[in-house]
Amino acid sequence: MTRNSLELEGLSKTYRLGFWLSRQVKALEGLDLTIEQGQVYGLLGPNGAGKSTTIKIVMNLVRATSGTARLFGKPPTDTETRRQVGFVPENPAPYEYLTGREFVQLAAHLGGVPRAEVARRSMEVLESVGMGRAADLQIRRYSKGMIQRVALAQAVVHRPPLLILDEPTSGLDPVGRRMVRDFILEERKRGTTVLFCTHIIPDVEALCDRVAVLVNGHRVREGRVADLLTAAVPQMELVIEGLSAERLRSFGRTLDDVQQLEARLLVRAADAEAQALVAQVLQAGGRISSMQPGKFTLEELFLQALSEAKHGTVGGEIL
Amino acid sequence: MIRSFWAIAFNGFREARRNRVTLVLAFFAGLLLLSASLITDITIATFDRVLIDIGLGGMSLILVLLAIFLSSSLLSREIERRTIFMVVSKPVSRGMFLVARLAGNMLTLTVLQVLMCALLLLEFWSLRTPITTPTLLAMGMLWFELLLLSSLGFLMSSFAGSMTSAFVTVSMFFVGHLSGDIYQLAQRSKNVALKMLGTTLYYVLPNLERFNLRGQASYGIVVPARELLSSAVYGLAYSAILIWLAALVFGRRDFR
Repeated sequence: MTRNSLELEGLSKTYRLGFWLSRQVKALEGLDLTIEQGQVYGLLGPNGAGKSTTIKIVMNLVRATSGTARLFGKPPTDTETRRQVGFVPENPAPYEYLTGREFVQLAAHLGGVPRAEVARRSMEVLESVGMGRAADLQIRRYSKGMIQRVALAQAVVHRPPLLILDEPTSGLDPVGRRMVRDFILEERKRGTTVLFCTHIIPDVEALCDRVAVLVNGHRVREGRVADLLTAAVPQMELVIEGLSAERLRSFGRTLDDVQQLEARLLVRAADAEAQALVAQVLQAGGRISSMQPGKFTLEELFLQALSEAKHGTVGGEIL
Repeated sequence: MIRSFWAIAFNGFREARRNRVTLVLAFFAGLLLLSASLITDITIATFDRVLIDIGLGGMSLILVLLAIFLSSSLLSREIERRTIFMVVSKPVSRGMFLVARLAGNMLTLTVLQVLMCALLLLEFWSLRTPITTPTLLAMGMLWFELLLLSSLGFLMSSFAGSMTSAFVTVSMFFVGHLSGDIYQLAQRSKNVALKMLGTTLYYVLPNLERFNLRGQASYGIVVPARELLSSAVYGLAYSAILIWLAALVFGRRDFR
């Protein structure tokens, strides 16, 4: 039986703002989510979609207004359950008066690493994220990329089975982003469950097994990345030879796009139209040299989900 | 759990040790204590009394300032800088985090107090000023005042910003030393409401004068053990209530 690492049921959060706490901002509403062990799960959404709020509820940094969150079957308030989780917040801020080594050692003590192993394990994880040589520099001297590496090291020093990363690649240069992606893939190999939220779509496409798209606190899409992309293919792309563009149009089909490529025609049409068009082209003596689903990326799916949700605002729904 | 507690407490001590403000204040404390002997040049007859007065007063002032500075900005700074995210998300309860941070603060203040006391006693010894029991007791009772002020600073910084926390804690320091006078004044009033207000304030506000034995030290008056014990219990109990309130507030906070 598969054990779920994380379960969210009807999770909602409304922030109360202002001096009299009279202004309310709905950050999350009725979120259901289940993450199985060993999955790499992406939470995708624009700014203010509720991704960070979800993660903060799971990490016991914010209290849910209603609904439940369970980590390995227990609530996030259960201190011992959090021993099984490694967490990197958005824009991590480790104690800058400490050195990288001291900070990771502090995390190891708090994470319950056996005392005799703290020094060795800390150095091991620092080296695994490429921070071995800078381990004894004070964190105040680190660049953003180095801070992110130390934050990743402190999250895995106690070998947790679940890693939660809030915008792990945001603000990093290509080298830093590559490092974080390699780190996640390495953790996946170990069997670690990874939940990360981001608005960087290529990261989700490259890393995630499943993805949930959040828009203004609502889940608008959820599923396996491959399934979502296949199910959402909107059009077919055909390359036709032996017919002119005018002849093709005379068939009376609704074509999204027709482009002349020297002696060939590149045609884009809805799936049903494309199937009927094939028969007409062959009947008219033409030749289909290629037919494939039009390229559909997660970005298009994301934008489609955004427009369907009809929520153009950013920062949660203000009540 | 105990290991996590000490890890956070020692980290707090390390933070204070690497903080420039703490180092500068400690340096000035040293200078102030050493310069006490220069000030006493103006007097001949009451040399010992003035030296004890200035020495203990200077030490008390520096340590109280440090206690307020360290405690009133600690939690709010952790929240503002978001350093708290990577600690509170660990298998550590918020209450334990708070108490461990306070323990780290008190460890810093205790180490500084011990060093200042040693420096002051060395100065007394070198200037042949008698080291008496009242002097040692005055030094010891200061610790309870530091604990109470630190707990108050923690309570304030569990929900307010650094400036507000510091302002309220400083105000409470002055009010706490004047609460006896407020009570006396209220008792002389013919207005019943004012009398009640004065009495309520006296019992609700911390009475920091209970920990001030500098006068007794100057005049060599030994305070009875029962009074000392009662003041120590008062300090511990008052601090415990403040810490409990701070834990209550801190435990319910959202860290956005």
